[in-house]
Amino acid sequence: MPETVLSNLEAAARERIRTAAGAEELERVRVEVLGRKGSLSEISKGLGKLPPEERAGAGRQLNAVKQALEAALQARQTEFEETAGKARLAAEWIDLTLPAPGPARGHLHPISRLQAEIEDVFTSLGFTVLDGPEVETEYHNFDALNIPRDHPARDMQDTFWLTGGSVLRTHTSPVQVRGMERFGPPLRIIAPGRVFRNEELDASHEHTFYQLEGMMVDRDVSVAHLVYFMKTLLTAVFKREVTVRLRPGFFPFVEPGFELDIHCLICGGQGCRVCKQSGWVEQIGCGLVHPNVLRMSGIDPEEWNGFAFGLGLTRLVMMRYAIDDVRYLQGGDLRFLNQF
Amino acid sequence: MKFSFNWLTELAEGVTLPPAELGRLITMRTAECEGVETLPDGDSVLEIDNKSITHRPDLWGHHGLAREIAAIVDGRLRDPVKPELLPFDAPAIGVEIEDYALAQRYSALTFENVTVAPSPEWLQRRLTAVGLNPINNIVDVTNYVMAEIAQPMHAFDWDLLHGPLILVRRAREGERIVALNEEQYRLDPRDLVIADGRGPIAIAGVIGGLDTGIGGNTRRLVLESANFQASSIRMTSARLKLRTDASMRFEKAQDPHNTVRGLARALELLEEVSPGIRLVGGVADSCAALTPPAPILLPVDWLVRKLGRDVEMAEVVRILERLEFGVKETAPRILSVTVPTWRATRDVSIKDDLVEEVGRMIGYDSIPIQAPALPVLPPHPNEERLYHREVRTALVELGFTEVHNYSFVNEEQVRALGLDPGDHLEVANPISQDQGLLRRSLLAGIRRNINENLKHFDSFRLFEIGCEIHKQPEGLPEEIPHLAAVAASRDDGTAGLMELKRVAEHLMPGCDLAPAEARPYEHPVRVADVLWRGKPTGRLFELHPSLVETGRAAVLDLNLAAVQSLSASSQVSYRPIRRYPASAFDLSVVTGLRALVGEIGKKLASYAAGDLVSIEFLRQYTGPPLAEGTKSVSFRLTVASADRTLSSEEAGAIRARIIDAMRSEGYDLRV
Repeated sequence: MPETVLSNLEAAARERIRTAAGAEELERVRVEVLGRKGSLSEISKGLGKLPPEERAGAGRQLNAVKQALEAALQARQTEFEETAGKARLAAEWIDLTLPAPGPARGHLHPISRLQAEIEDVFTSLGFTVLDGPEVETEYHNFDALNIPRDHPARDMQDTFWLTGGSVLRTHTSPVQVRGMERFGPPLRIIAPGRVFRNEELDASHEHTFYQLEGMMVDRDVSVAHLVYFMKTLLTAVFKREVTVRLRPGFFPFVEPGFELDIHCLICGGQGCRVCKQSGWVEQIGCGLVHPNVLRMSGIDPEEWNGFAFGLGLTRLVMMRYAIDDVRYLQGGDLRFLNQF
Repeated sequence: MKFSFNWLTELAEGVTLPPAELGRLITMRTAECEGVETLPDGDSVLEIDNKSITHRPDLWGHHGLAREIAAIVDGRLRDPVKPELLPFDAPAIGVEIEDYALAQRYSALTFENVTVAPSPEWLQRRLTAVGLNPINNIVDVTNYVMAEIAQPMHAFDWDLLHGPLILVRRAREGERIVALNEEQYRLDPRDLVIADGRGPIAIAGVIGGLDTGIGGNTRRLVLESANFQASSIRMTSARLKLRTDASMRFEKAQDPHNTVRGLARALELLEEVSPGIRLVGGVADSCAALTPPAPILLPVDWLVRKLGRDVEMAEVVRILERLEFGVKETAPRILSVTVPTWRATRDVSIKDDLVEEVGRMIGYDSIPIQAPALPVLPPHPNEERLYHREVRTALVELGFTEVHNYSFVNEEQVRALGLDPGDHLEVANPISQDQGLLRRSLLAGIRRNINENLKHFDSFRLFEIGCEIHKQPEGLPEEIPHLAAVAASRDDGTAGLMELKRVAEHLMPGCDLAPAEARPYEHPVRVADVLWRGKPTGRLFELHPSLVETGRAAVLDLNLAAVQSLSASSQVSYRPIRRYPASAFDLSVVTGLRALVGEIGKKLASYAAGDLVSIEFLRQYTGPPLAEGTKSVSFRLTVASADRTLSSEEAGAIRARIIDAMRSEGYDLRV
């Protein structure tokens, strides 16, 4: 058999494989060339007629061509499968800019968020978070805090009285008393919560707002320690170094008492509307716990002392988010709350 | 309280600072100066925050603040009072105090040949600068002395008084007086009055009577300079809703030594503004025994520890002496400190008060910041707060936005919900009747949130965590933390209820909903009790459609205290993973339209008993071929054995057992 027959056959088959349009055509080529009745099969039948010395060589050639064509068919087949696979996936296109079904995440009230942040700071400093009732006894809200009946200091806080003689707490300070009663010294507590003042509502006055009270009772607590904690707190809240100043302030339950101001964050201390041109913003009322307060809660002031502070959470939230009307915070308007 | 810069620097000599700078120093050392205003005549007014001098009776006059200024700038304090001017003659009238507990001192001077006229301009200007209205020379002098040395005074027209005696006594029940403001006040024995032979001529420490006041025809006068018990004055002034410049000062506990000083100063001024005025007799003075306060022992080392900054003992002494405390070192580094009378009434009584005096004068800013050396201890956990935070976080993640509502509600809101206002704790002095009650349910606020927000949104989810306040027969009310979550929209409301059920299951895995009798604010048939671990924890319902202006609102109202206590009891204990394969089969129960799927599922599960691995609701169906008014409810039950593979015969037997049991209870099963 002339070699040219075989090589022509191979070349023709390769050409058909290369140009096959699809899997079906490829299968026809396989049947016609490699099949039981295919052309190679025909040629192999003729091998027996060859002289024995040529037979082996011709057989090898025939086999080589067969394997080569089988490989070519396989390769082409894989090509078709890959193309089909790609096409199938390409048809599965999805518009991922479509909105996802189900509700979007809700929004935490800005006061809850800030309160949680401050709770975490103080918890990490070893302070216990305490709660007290919103409706308080006169004793806890006033007397135990060294504000006896008919003391003018009671005027500092316009009080809601309830029929029956209890009060809506005017500050979170009564939780100091409850903390001392419950744990005794040494003591590190904070008490965030809702407080009430009998004030008409306007853009900057609320009858209901949030405060955070803190207290530490230990041995030899000093003003220097108090300032340390206050600065730590404010740095954590504002997430940057803040400049503070301490000046005298009067609160009956501390002695000495202070107002702690921070450099106005709006103008950086240059003076602006927010800080009334002073460059400073009142932030925390604080002081060393008055010995009468310790004594009334059964703690010996000669042995223990401490500091206490109160921070307006509502005010802090308004500063942080530049909210200019306090009424939004308890207005329940989702157009406001959804921003946080 | 307004202070004139010129007046202050007349009393505190050596001030070279401009007013604003002085104001800043006062803020840092004494009391908050809220602002400085320049007047057209060149004087400046320093506005001191009243709250920051509540504890300082002496700072309610210029002399007191001048003392502070002199101490701050190391200036010289000038005393405007010349006590030597007072006559030693016998008094021309009698004064008597009924109860020294209520009035420690009553001093008076009597004058004749009085001319009532407008004050000279300088006097009027001073008064105007500090916010007092000039009236006439006599009244203006009393106000001037008050503004200068914090001693309130009052002038009576002597010719209009009855009898030779002025008596300080409790008012009699129902006694009336028409005051200088032309208002009539009805008094009772809690009030203190100044009375003559006929009746009250002034409400002590608050306001004078109209009848005996100084007028154009006044020729003779009685000048009162008294000291009243602070809390009594405060109570009367609060009860009569009458706060005056006098009552504001007296309620801070003034110094009884100051009464005669006031008279001396007034005498000098009256001679200037009412030429020809003549004293009649000497000082009438009724005074309780004034006991000097015991000296305070101040250990300097203790003071230093309190401040957290070293201070030389000499510096401590110097500061206290400049503020006119008496100081002696009675033992090594222990100071015995005598409090000046104008600070001793209530302000300074213990060594801690002296820490403030020294601290503020060295400047709190000079104290270095220092971390305390303390043991590192984990705080006590606050399980309740941690749990509330967990709930908040979960709700936000499930798409709900947090609101905060007021604790106040009004009768109308309460009645609209069908609740009884009588069950609510009442505010005795509400801002308005609109806020007269304390909430016993979060729903009034939540309802408002729903209606307000439906004006702007077609659908929304919100929640609140807050306390219900439940009145108790006695003592403080019970405050019960609740969660109220809302899913509101303009649809038929079913999706919202289902979504809130999912919230309930998220917070209380495995909770049950049991049919419940609707309350007035609940949709009559869309309501269920929420039970967890067998205990009631709240309600799931649709707010009664009549309470929602447009749309529907599903509400989940949970008692968080109850939920929290149940969640704390969950203890996970591991069981090995089943090793043998399970078999599953479906069962369909045909039943009435309002039969509860949950009940059917529970029944099936109970009959599958120990063989059951899981039961899953597949679907419910109504329509052909089912009879009208019935539905088919399908479940897939998976059963298995713990120790071998169930044969198909065994699985079939379990299925047959369940079917028989259900049928024997009257259920119709499609098999």
